[in-house]
Amino acid sequence: MSNTSLVFTPSFIKNPSQNGLGRYVCQLQRVVLKFCKNNGSSRGMREFIEEELVDYARSNPGVVVYLKPRRHRGPVISAEYLNGDKQWINCRNFTKVEIFKWLNLLKTQQGDTTGLRFRKLWHTEMPSIQGPWTPYTFRPSSLNLISFPNEDLSKAPEEESATDKLIELYKKQRISES
Amino acid sequence: MFLLRNSFRKSTKVFAYITFSINQEPQRQIHRWVSPTLRELKRRRDKVGPEKPFARSSFLEWNYEAEIYAFGKRLGENFNKDILKRALTHKSYIIQKELEGETTDLQSNQDLIEEGSLIISECLNEEYGKIYVKDIADSIIKHLTTEDMLSHVAKHLGLTDLVLTSELPVEKSTLANTFKAVIAALKQSQDLERAKKFIKDFLIVQLNGQTVFDLWEPEEPIEYLNNILKKKGIEQFEARLCNESASNTILANYQVGLYSNKKLLGIGWGENVEIAKNTAALDAIRRMYKLRTVLI
Repeated sequence: MSNTSLVFTPSFIKNPSQNGLGRYVCQLQRVVLKFCKNNGSSRGMREFIEEELVDYARSNPGVVVYLKPRRHRGPVISAEYLNGDKQWINCRNFTKVEIFKWLNLLKTQQGDTTGLRFRKLWHTEMPSIQGPWTPYTFRPSSLNLISFPNEDLSKAPEEESATDKLIELYKKQRISES
Repeated sequence: MFLLRNSFRKSTKVFAYITFSINQEPQRQIHRWVSPTLRELKRRRDKVGPEKPFARSSFLEWNYEAEIYAFGKRLGENFNKDILKRALTHKSYIIQKELEGETTDLQSNQDLIEEGSLIISECLNEEYGKIYVKDIADSIIKHLTTEDMLSHVAKHLGLTDLVLTSELPVEKSTLANTFKAVIAALKQSQDLERAKKFIKDFLIVQLNGQTVFDLWEPEEPIEYLNNILKKKGIEQFEARLCNESASNTILANYQVGLYSNKKLLGIGWGENVEIAKNTAALDAIRRMYKLRTVLI
């Protein structure tokens, strides 16, 4: 699939407003549980509300939980985050456990990540603490006192020439023949 | 219009279709119709224009008392409820209520804003006034107390929906003022120490990853360095070309070191000698003031 697709938005890992550097703030600010009182698709949601909701609200005092019964409409979780995102989850036929898990996910993420494609799994605002490279970085200090142009440095490197190699081969051959 | 609204509602369902289908049955691909549908929905949305701004408090599911309670708990602070409520009530809201003919016993947060502003500048001065010279401390404090910065912090504390004001959408200046008022409210609910800790945890951390020279840069680094040297009674510096590379090409690079009495003050490089000299002067200032490379 192409990268410019409308379906997935490319993004990096984000941390809104330096959260956690001073103290950690749960980014989920309120959640609305919408459900029907007699439709079967809301059964799990109703069970969750009856058995687990009070505990959930008590253990997360920073999240405002609203209940919104609506007749003959599917169950829905609508979550709002501190950064202004709003996430909508259709919970048709979800069990109690599934709803608990989704709510837990909402509580632990920083915003609506629906339809996001991570370009990388890591991100930094400061790629190098060392600074940019210059031609003088890591230069051998022996070069400091040399004045250019320098005869020694300008010399061609001394390598064995092709003629020398041939002579060497010839000598070896003669030794093995004798 | 109805059809259009309906289609918008569906657009969230389309996303739901993509992401939550995992819950029901394994999905091999995103269907071919999804992308064109989203494109069409986006076209229609662009045609209609931006959505009208709305106040979250106008919704049916809104309980101001619960929101105020959660606000304190979220930040891990014990606010006095009445003081916090007063800190969130702006003058414009009271005036609006009076114009509507309602009698309210609400008080505005005018005095709290002023008090909070004083607390913030006091705390920041304590934090940076001692370790940095006045020029640098001032520019850091100025950066932290701009309307943009304060409103950004306020927004991420969740104040946008809680503020009582006549504006819609809430303006940045109002948000910034609310943040100040909340700090004053915290001081009155608990004590000054707690308020300062709050400022450190939420405002000062915004400097994370920034260097001093991102926030402050002398216009004439060489003259600035000369002034420092005069004040400290150190001999005038002498600039020397330490290295040069690829001169007369597009990738020319010069390294200049500033020496005073044969001791290196600072070293810097640039595409010409003048720039390299300025960079070296900045480096010398950094070394003299013992500036940290990163603020936090």
